[in-house]
Amino acid sequence: MKNVYRPIDAEILEVIDETPTIKTFVVEPKEDIGFATGQFMEVTVPGLGEAPFTPSSSPNVKEKIDFTIMSVGKVTEELHRMTKGQMVGVRGPMGKGYPLDAWKGKEILIVGGGVGAAPLRSLFLALVERLDDFKKILYCYGARTPGDIVYKEQILDKWQKINPKKIEIRTTVDEGDSTWKGNVGVVTTVVKDLGIDINNSVGVVCGPPIMMKFGTFALVEQGYPDSAIHLSMEKNMSCGIGKCGHCMLGEYMVCQDGPVMTYDKVKDKPAIWD
Amino acid sequence: MQTHFITDTDLVTFFTSLEKRGPMYMAVRDEEGTVRVKPSSEVGSYSYPGVRAFQPLKPFFFSALEEVAEYPSADKPLKEARPFTIVGAASCDLRAIEALDRVFLEGDFKDPFYEEKRSKALIIGFDCTDPLETCFCVLMGVEPYVEKGFDLGLAKVEGGYVVEVGSDKGKQVVDDNKGLFKPATENHLSQRKALRDKTRDIVEKQSREYKPATTWQDLMSKVYEDSTWARNVETCVECGACLFICPTCQCFLLYDQRAGDRFKRLKMWDSCVYKNFTRVAGGANPRERLIDRFRHRYYHKLDYFPKTYGFEGCTGCGRCIVACPGEIDMRKVLKEADKS
Ligand SMILES: Cc1cc2nc3c(=O)[nH]c(=O)nc-3n(C[C@H](O)[C@H](O)[C@H](O)COP(=O)(O)OP(=O)(O)OC[C@H]3O[C@@H](n4cnc5c(N)ncnc54)[C@H](O)[C@@H]3O)c2cc1C
Ligand code: SF4
Ligand code: FES
Repeated sequence: MKNVYRPIDAEILEVIDETPTIKTFVVEPKEDIGFATGQFMEVTVPGLGEAPFTPSSSPNVKEKIDFTIMSVGKVTEELHRMTKGQMVGVRGPMGKGYPLDAWKGKEILIVGGGVGAAPLRSLFLALVERLDDFKKILYCYGARTPGDIVYKEQILDKWQKINPKKIEIRTTVDEGDSTWKGNVGVVTTVVKDLGIDINNSVGVVCGPPIMMKFGTFALVEQGYPDSAIHLSMEKNMSCGIGKCGHCMLGEYMVCQDGPVMTYDKVKDKPAIWD
Repeated sequence: MQTHFITDTDLVTFFTSLEKRGPMYMAVRDEEGTVRVKPSSEVGSYSYPGVRAFQPLKPFFFSALEEVAEYPSADKPLKEARPFTIVGAASCDLRAIEALDRVFLEGDFKDPFYEEKRSKALIIGFDCTDPLETCFCVLMGVEPYVEKGFDLGLAKVEGGYVVEVGSDKGKQVVDDNKGLFKPATENHLSQRKALRDKTRDIVEKQSREYKPATTWQDLMSKVYEDSTWARNVETCVECGACLFICPTCQCFLLYDQRAGDRFKRLKMWDSCVYKNFTRVAGGANPRERLIDRFRHRYYHKLDYFPKTYGFEGCTGCGRCIVACPGEIDMRKVLKEADKS
């Protein structure tokens, strides 16, 4: 019988500083643990506890997994103190990720903000690796300041160049600085003039609560049906396997029925944006 | 399945033989008249409990605190549970076990600790004869007599018990003690029926005033904003007693600790009325207010659980009514919502 509560040992191979509060941890699990993009895992700081994170690397890379983590509290602050060579635990994968197969032939609009870039990078890489299946990817990303943009090199140039005909990246910051030449304004200010056939498109939104809310409203305004808007629901989680009750949203256990859920399913549930 | 008869004295012999399986726990009345579940070694002589025990049966399968992992990984096999026997599951207790089975054994993942203990249990149910004033099982689709979910079901009749076999495991232990059982007669069965009708009548009468106008789910779909929540939450002290004593409450928290030079993970009961239960990073909390947490319990039991599993997550056992220091009576809270 499989012990669903046991973490698998994983070694930290590399720690990358992304922003003053966000780091990417490249870890090597000591046992097989694959995932589909958008699924999440529980990462253990030994003796301290677990917290849920969505891998930010491609699901097609099996030997190592990236987690991009913002320091906000007990577990994440301790993770930020950890260095190359130290051990963590990983448990998963859990939940339902992005339904890539159902998106074949479609144009994909991604709206992200802050550390929401983590699952979105995994999604983006997964889409790019089978780009023939999709018509277009438009990725709109917002950060507070230029220094808060999580994956700088990819967003500024590299990603666009993969296939300029099919891929468009729009980056914006709430507050610019002397070096910033791009758009200034919250992410919803770039979610317009999409050049997308909404009827053949799906939207993805991931970011901090306030951005999730206004990002979703922006997509609704652009004409996306509720069932085509994919949200990453962030709820308190403990078990990650649909038993412990912490992540309940209406009748859903977000850890199993989500974390990726379409807006039509969650729209009428209590306090979805909190 | 088969129905047998066993005499009072043979039942005691039967129980003694079942003790060979492993530990046995019995629901019996104590000196104060409260039915409690105790190890059989502490029970002088067996007597029919007549009503559900004070405590729920969930700790037999879902412990208040248990170690569920040790790491860095040793990948040692899970601890095997010993076979054990529970004598005295009321019908509402059986429904509660059914609810927990659905939660812990269904879905993409099974809880191996629950599964192990559950698979080792022999459960002997019984028909209620002395319902408590707080019993309202019939409003939750549960009869006050055993219908399913038991290995053996007992009903008190003159001179002994009707024993109904409910599973292969139950059949096995009857076959192993063949000499003790006789076929149940028409007379036995009609006595059982009469007692069942009588008990049902009592529970039905005392519950009538709390019966929802339509269904619970229909009621819940209309009363989310009702003033009953604000009125009744006033005496809630956030102790969690209603949840810990609830036979179907499933919530828990995983909690890690250092153990020498290794670490262990504990699984312990948690309660959705506690403020931090739903708090997320940065301090946001979808159920910040006590009223939201108070209401969540009702919605989980009567709206969300049925949406997922097709039956109420409340069994009508009434334990939460007895346990609440704020004297909050679930039946009344819902009745007030239904009236307005
Ligand atoms: C499906 C999912 C994917 C996520 N992916 C990422 C990611 O890729 N990168 C990232 O930086 N963050 C992600 N988060 C948020 C991350 O899980 C929280 O920041 C983290 O749990 C905070 O833990 P802490 O101990 O540092 O914070 P504290 O505030 O000290 O939290 C203490 C405890 O509260 C609970 N808790 C607090 N916040 C959350 C939360 N949001 N979700 C669940 N439990 C919580 C936990 O039990 C935690 O141990 C994700 C959350 C979810 C639900
Ligand atoms: S609620 Fe019903 S089944 Fe449970 S003890 Fe009371 S009468 Fe028996
Ligand atoms: S995190 Fe435990 S049920 Fe979802």
